[in-house]
Amino acid sequence: MITFKNVSKIYKPETKALDGVSFHIRPGEFVSVVGTSGSGKTTLAKLLFAEESPTRGSIHLGDWDISKIRRAEIPVLRRQIGVVFQDYKLLPKKTAFENVAFALEVAGAATSRIREVVPQVLKIVGLSDKMHRYPRQLSGGEQQRVAIARALVHRPKIILADEPTGNLDAITSREIIELLKRINDVGTTVLLVTHDREIVNAMRRRVITIQQGKIVSDVEHGKYHLG
Amino acid sequence: MRSVARLLKFAGQSVLRNFWLSFVTTSVLLLTLFTVNMLIVMNVLADATINSIEDKVQVEVYFNQGTSEDIQKSVHGYLAALPQVKDVAVISAADSLEAFRILHADDPEVLAALAEVGGNPIGDSLLISANNPADFEFILAALDSSPEYAPYIKEKNFADHQAVIDRLSDFSDQVRWGGLGLAGFFVLISVLIVFNTIRVAIYVHRDEIAVMKLVGAQDWFVRGPFLLEAVFYSAAATTIMAAICGFILKFLEPQIRSFFTGVDVSLTTYYWEKALLIFGAQFLALAALSMITTLFAMRKYLKI
Repeated sequence: MITFKNVSKIYKPETKALDGVSFHIRPGEFVSVVGTSGSGKTTLAKLLFAEESPTRGSIHLGDWDISKIRRAEIPVLRRQIGVVFQDYKLLPKKTAFENVAFALEVAGAATSRIREVVPQVLKIVGLSDKMHRYPRQLSGGEQQRVAIARALVHRPKIILADEPTGNLDAITSREIIELLKRINDVGTTVLLVTHDREIVNAMRRRVITIQQGKIVSDVEHGKYHLG
Repeated sequence: MRSVARLLKFAGQSVLRNFWLSFVTTSVLLLTLFTVNMLIVMNVLADATINSIEDKVQVEVYFNQGTSEDIQKSVHGYLAALPQVKDVAVISAADSLEAFRILHADDPEVLAALAEVGGNPIGDSLLISANNPADFEFILAALDSSPEYAPYIKEKNFADHQAVIDRLSDFSDQVRWGGLGLAGFFVLISVLIVFNTIRVAIYVHRDEIAVMKLVGAQDWFVRGPFLLEAVFYSAAATTIMAAICGFILKFLEPQIRSFFTGVDVSLTTYYWEKALLIFGAQFLALAALSMITTLFAMRKYLKI
């Protein structure tokens, strides 16, 4: 599904964010990418999302070589990868429904489809009763659920979650991870970028550990073992 | 179609959310159009005035006293045969004298001098109309260079008319250049204002733009609303300008007509007949200018 082959990313003049990273993620896997701040895990996420391009190496999503992606293809790629961030990135003047609908609107979806799909994904994330609330009227966990609903609305093959629990307390963080696991259970590949030890250890799923831009371990049922 | 409707919606939201900025932008574009329309009006009035004067320009060729009627007829025939000549009329000495008296009725010194000379010092004359006032030079040169007729010609009174036309043309050109300079100044101001408006709009919508990128919006979908916003401002300015023109012309036309008595000019008719062309062209030019400015602003501030 996702293949990184000898990928390096060097920021000018000489900052090596990633150095010869290689791994393969199979369809339907739940993989945590862990590492300390500045280890290169967010760069890895940005490369997958085509926000950055690698200096060397290749990145494949299925048969698609993302490292050589054309500018016009980027939106198509991004509709196949649902992205969730630590800061939610919700529009404050739009309700939960409108925030999720916005993703379909900009993709040119029909209004009837928007009316049908948005309540469905909001139901999946448990916000059916709060779909007309604005982000300021929702808790942090609920806002992250809206962001996840938005990521799901294009029915992506992959969910890329970059520090999704970074702003949440422990209980809410567990709820968000449970939600991601449920999404994974129905076949969606989940790539979780985090440095939250407890979450990684509790899941007992595949863990890729990055340190100073290099993969230092890739364990099938791994734990967080960084200092 | 659906996407176009959404682009229109987003552009409309942007215009309304930054209402005062939109108001100022439209006002400056309106000022630009105002100067352009002032130029059009001045052009129409100047052209009508010059045409009116040109239509009235006639050259009088006076014969020496005692020139025979046969010679006069020959000169008449010679001039009438020239393709540049529209009409030639023979004015008798008596009619010329009467016209001279009427012309100088308020000038007792001239009349006294005329009385002192006694009799009719003015000979017979020919009144020539040309198809084009510029042709007079050729017509008179043809007469001067004819050894057969030149000795019978006493004088010609063309120079004064030409001086008036030349002065009017010069004045009209100066006004036109001044107007063009003013319009250019407002175009420059418009470019700066539109540029700033789009810059602010991009800043105001930075979160939406980031989310659009996140959820896979095409580049044109991100840029489209800003370009449409520029078109909205142009359309609003042109529509308001058309309304202002209609209003002003309705109330000022009688005053303009009375000021330009004798000049065949109707600004209302001119604008009414060419409204689509005049305001269509103004809208297209303004929209093109605004969109080009927007493209530059997006290139500088909108990173997709």
